[in-house]
Amino acid sequence: MASKTIDPVTLEVIWNRFLSVANEQQDALIRTAFSTIVRESQDLACGMFDTKGRMISQSISGTPGHINAMATSMKHFLAAFPPEKLAPGDVLITNDPWQTAGQINDITITTPIFKNGKMVALFANTCHSADIGGRILSAEAREVFEEGLRIPIMKLFDRGEPNKILMQIVRTNVRQPDEVIGDFYAQTSCNETGGRALLEMMDEFKLDAIDEVSEEIIRRSEAAVRAEIAKLPAGEWSSETWSDGFEEPILIHCTVKVAGEEIFIDFTGSSPQSSRGINVVLNYTHAYASFAIKAAICPDVPHNEGSFRPVHVSAPEGSILNALDPAPVASRQVIGHFIPSAIFAAMAGALPGRLMAPGADPIWLSVWRGQDPSFTLTVFQVGGTGARPTKDGLNAVGFPSGVAGVPAEVIESLSPVVLKRRELRADSGGPGTWRGGLGQLTEFGRRGESKWSVSSIADRTAYAATGLQGGGVGALGEVIVDGKKLHAKALKDLQPSDVVHVNLPGGGGYGDPFKREPEKVLWDVIDGYVTAQDAEKRYGVAVVYKGQAAELVKLPADWFIDAARTEKLRGKR
Amino acid sequence: MYRVGIDIGGTFTDMLLVGDDGTAVIAKTLTTPGDPSLAVENALRPVLDDGSVNKGERGTLIHGTTLVTNALIERKGALTALLTTSGFRDAVEIAREHRYELYDLNLDLPKPLVPRHLRFDVPERMAADGSVLENLDEVFLRRLVGELRDKGIKAIGVCYLNSFRNPAHEKRTAEIIAEMAPKIRVSLSSEVVAEIREYQRTSTTLANVYVQERVSDYLAQLQGRLDAIGFNGSFFVMLSSGGIATRDTASRFPVRLLESGPAAGALAAAEAGLRSGHRDLLSFDMGGTTAKLCVIDDGQPLKTHEFEVDRVYRFRKGSGLPVRIPVIDMIEIGAGGGSIARVDSLGLLKVGPDSSGADPGPVCYGQGGTQPTVTDADLMLGYLDANYFLGGKMKLDLTGTKKALERLGTPLKMSAEQVAWGIHQIVNENMANAARAHLGERGKDPRRMPMYAFGGAGPVHGYRVAEILRLPALISPFGAGVGSTFGLLSAPLAFDFVRSAYSRMDQLDWSLANRLLDEMAQEGSKVLQSSGLAESEIGYQRTADLRFIGQGHEVSVALPDGVLTSADLPRIAAEFERTYESLYGRKGPDVALEVINWRVVASGPRPDMNLKLPRGATQGGAARKGVRLAFFPETNGYVETAIYDRYALEPGMAFAGPAIVEERESTLIIGAHGKARVDERLNVVVELTDGK
Repeated sequence: MASKTIDPVTLEVIWNRFLSVANEQQDALIRTAFSTIVRESQDLACGMFDTKGRMISQSISGTPGHINAMATSMKHFLAAFPPEKLAPGDVLITNDPWQTAGQINDITITTPIFKNGKMVALFANTCHSADIGGRILSAEAREVFEEGLRIPIMKLFDRGEPNKILMQIVRTNVRQPDEVIGDFYAQTSCNETGGRALLEMMDEFKLDAIDEVSEEIIRRSEAAVRAEIAKLPAGEWSSETWSDGFEEPILIHCTVKVAGEEIFIDFTGSSPQSSRGINVVLNYTHAYASFAIKAAICPDVPHNEGSFRPVHVSAPEGSILNALDPAPVASRQVIGHFIPSAIFAAMAGALPGRLMAPGADPIWLSVWRGQDPSFTLTVFQVGGTGARPTKDGLNAVGFPSGVAGVPAEVIESLSPVVLKRRELRADSGGPGTWRGGLGQLTEFGRRGESKWSVSSIADRTAYAATGLQGGGVGALGEVIVDGKKLHAKALKDLQPSDVVHVNLPGGGGYGDPFKREPEKVLWDVIDGYVTAQDAEKRYGVAVVYKGQAAELVKLPADWFIDAARTEKLRGKR
Repeated sequence: MYRVGIDIGGTFTDMLLVGDDGTAVIAKTLTTPGDPSLAVENALRPVLDDGSVNKGERGTLIHGTTLVTNALIERKGALTALLTTSGFRDAVEIAREHRYELYDLNLDLPKPLVPRHLRFDVPERMAADGSVLENLDEVFLRRLVGELRDKGIKAIGVCYLNSFRNPAHEKRTAEIIAEMAPKIRVSLSSEVVAEIREYQRTSTTLANVYVQERVSDYLAQLQGRLDAIGFNGSFFVMLSSGGIATRDTASRFPVRLLESGPAAGALAAAEAGLRSGHRDLLSFDMGGTTAKLCVIDDGQPLKTHEFEVDRVYRFRKGSGLPVRIPVIDMIEIGAGGGSIARVDSLGLLKVGPDSSGADPGPVCYGQGGTQPTVTDADLMLGYLDANYFLGGKMKLDLTGTKKALERLGTPLKMSAEQVAWGIHQIVNENMANAARAHLGERGKDPRRMPMYAFGGAGPVHGYRVAEILRLPALISPFGAGVGSTFGLLSAPLAFDFVRSAYSRMDQLDWSLANRLLDEMAQEGSKVLQSSGLAESEIGYQRTADLRFIGQGHEVSVALPDGVLTSADLPRIAAEFERTYESLYGRKGPDVALEVINWRVVASGPRPDMNLKLPRGATQGGAARKGVRLAFFPETNGYVETAIYDRYALEPGMAFAGPAIVEERESTLIIGAHGKARVDERLNVVVELTDGK
């Protein structure tokens, strides 16, 4: 089938089929995975590639850092194992941070698919492994070597035979061998599921190869992205975003240049790489930068090789966003997740009414360990997203990460940890015409009488999410034990009776809070998203409850806006 | 004794009445949204009055309704409060902390049924093993309940953490509410759905109590009308699982009535399959805005426990409110007759999921619609007759349709005919893709499964969808327009029970397992006997939800009969492995098993469905009523195509595609490689050949 003659209906049909094949792959992965990180939090990505290693389709969920970094990794896989060195039944693996998703816990597994003895496609997925040995996931390391077992690109299966030596080495090096190896198997079998579905559809459409169709998919996607970029005003804008960092704050300096049909994103001026494990490899920087551009200007264009092409990403070697081997990188997400907000902040002026304010940004990660019974539990948590130009931010929803939370009951069924509280954090959303999303208040304790520990990787404990267009800042995050705030990236030994307060940051507001409709402020107070004090102070709206203050049940009918006072408050400015 | 099935849909209320000798009466009346029970009366009264059945005779009425679905979507439930463990009143809003769509910066999340000011922390705490960490603060609770009562709250959902392991605090809370505020309706999460995961459990419990008043009022009202028109008999309601419940159970657990109409449709497919010797089927129901697909496996629709109501984003999984109930495992796709076609930014033709709805509707309805839809494409292709839509009740505007399709085709450099065929193909592909993923997830190979196509647009698109999926045949039932009512009457009385009791299988307390299974069986037996069945007629299907230790998703495994002991473990494990392998295509790792839930379905015998169907005026007339031009790709264009009158087809008749079979509510399209024959039950069975 020549690409010149492929009609739009046939192309649409085949393309949709490619997308559904990747979704079948993802469903199989989630259903067979062992670790809560994959099955509950869905910290994963699945995709299909042509024989040149170009990504053709991705599954519907997943997290941007994985999806796009996995796409880059395929070039490395094919360089190490060109098609002529691959046979049916081969499965490749690596977790090299510089070749894949920038973190040693992220395992990428790739399976070449053959038809009539010829390789026709590759299926790959990247999952966050429950453990990879070394230090427990943290930002503490000073070199990548401390962070765990590094697996160079090699065969996990050779013509269907498991690589027993590698499996033995992994089993010996990790704390939860069943979960880790169980996930390797899930990752392998989901690629097979995808491959089987692809071969069936190739039979049906009488295709011997998919490269020509993929060429056309890439061409059209690239053209669609270029057309969207061409609609943007030409120019160059920059922004500065601060992260708490580890030993010192980290600056992300972002410059976005729109020139014709291409976008250039450069991070010159950002901090140098850190001595601790918060460094970002260029793969990952590229992944989140291209994610941000797609979300900002063309969310409907399918994600594939073509949609990355007009987006160019650079950062100086040895800087925080292009760290060099053997820099420690385990907690690269705490810096990497700032990239979309940094890009939006730079472009907000050029794209009025289209971009959201910065939110809590990095996902928070905590690893809880202890004995009686022995447990290692990884928990992801998120704060609020930034407000949008026509909508409030989302409460306790991750952005840019696509990772989901773990139910308290699942946490407690797997460990003696007791979640004592998980609720929305009043007044944490940045005030604005549109309010930032709220963070959360959570409390962790444990049952039993033995000591335990937490390694927490938090951010925005010193630099709040800023607002856009006059919106206010979101609340800072905090991790508190025994009344004392912990360092944002801390490994802390805990007494049996300790309770750890993990309070997640809120998103920034959008627009002047004094222009928020008073009725909306009233409802925020009724529902406790904003306290009456904050409504008055930050929104200039006086909300009064006419019933008894001590009542537990306060119905909307008993709340009202003190119009005169509101006018006075709002008139003051 | 006669039996009546009544299904209330969005537009029509359908009735099928079957007498002792199998004589069937079909009726269709307009749904009466203000008081849906009125339509039931309108359908039933004439048959009672005209002597079709004897008023004194006992009847059984089985009812399917979308009342619960609508009440949830339109948020027309009672003023409801939620009581949770202190610190967890936001579980229902924090949900999964997840965006169901990665790139859309403007997405919305489903709104909880209960706003934050009506969600209350109650001091109490159970641990994951069911032990008490903190006692229930009854003093506080009494103060709270008193205020809720005094401020007019009508319903309370109670969902405490880990109550699926130990419901004592929830039960005590219910007692206190009953004592202090007996008029407030209460649902306990440990009774509605005793399963792990607080967000899903809370969401389900709230949905249940939120609609309880409405459903129970409605059922009482309906009972009143039935009494008034002289209906003498018992009255049951269909559940989402395809089981049937008494009015009392339905009032207590109304959330289990969600999707009871579509469930009945799947049962009708299963029944038709059993009758025609097809134990495995793909049920395909395509209407105006959505299509629903369901796998019938060995004569039974597959079931699941995951469901979402009120999806806010293009039918996207994760964008609705989760409800954990036993439900027939269906996928719903935004593809129907009203689905709109457009050209996207990549220069490709897209169809749906946006729908023109009933108003303005497709261009051809002539009600002001300008965007071409699937129905417009079907008209352009000659599949629909502009003069015989709804049996001729509605004239279609072919000229307007053609113009709209030409406009759409211009940027694609395609003619109106080519665009129409493109729309037809793409919508079929979308449905086939969803079906394939659904089948794949369940480890089913479609190539052995015929399709059972119904709904207004089902028979128009069924042939091509079946062809894409490489299904062997297509079955188009007689009376597809009232298809769901067949399902209502073909279902045995059945009740589902579940108990969560997490344990490693190698450390299982077998006496506890036996006790739970026996308890559920006894409950089932009690309800069924009170519905008039003898113990000897009741069957029990026992299953356990098992998984590898630490794996996230459970697999339901059938259990051996009788008292279970540790000696049964190898058999249960072998059954798990067999099921696991058929689902995932490979053996699992060498890891021990754990059990999450125990389940029992108690059911009565399958009713006899040997019906004598009414045929109408053209029975005995000429089957072939004419020809018209219709598009078939096998012949590269429009060909003179034979049109058959559905009402004149007799068992044993056979004809080959291309062909069109018309009945009032739908049209069956048979491609050029199809071979049709009419079976004993007046189904048209189309065998799909490869054309050789």
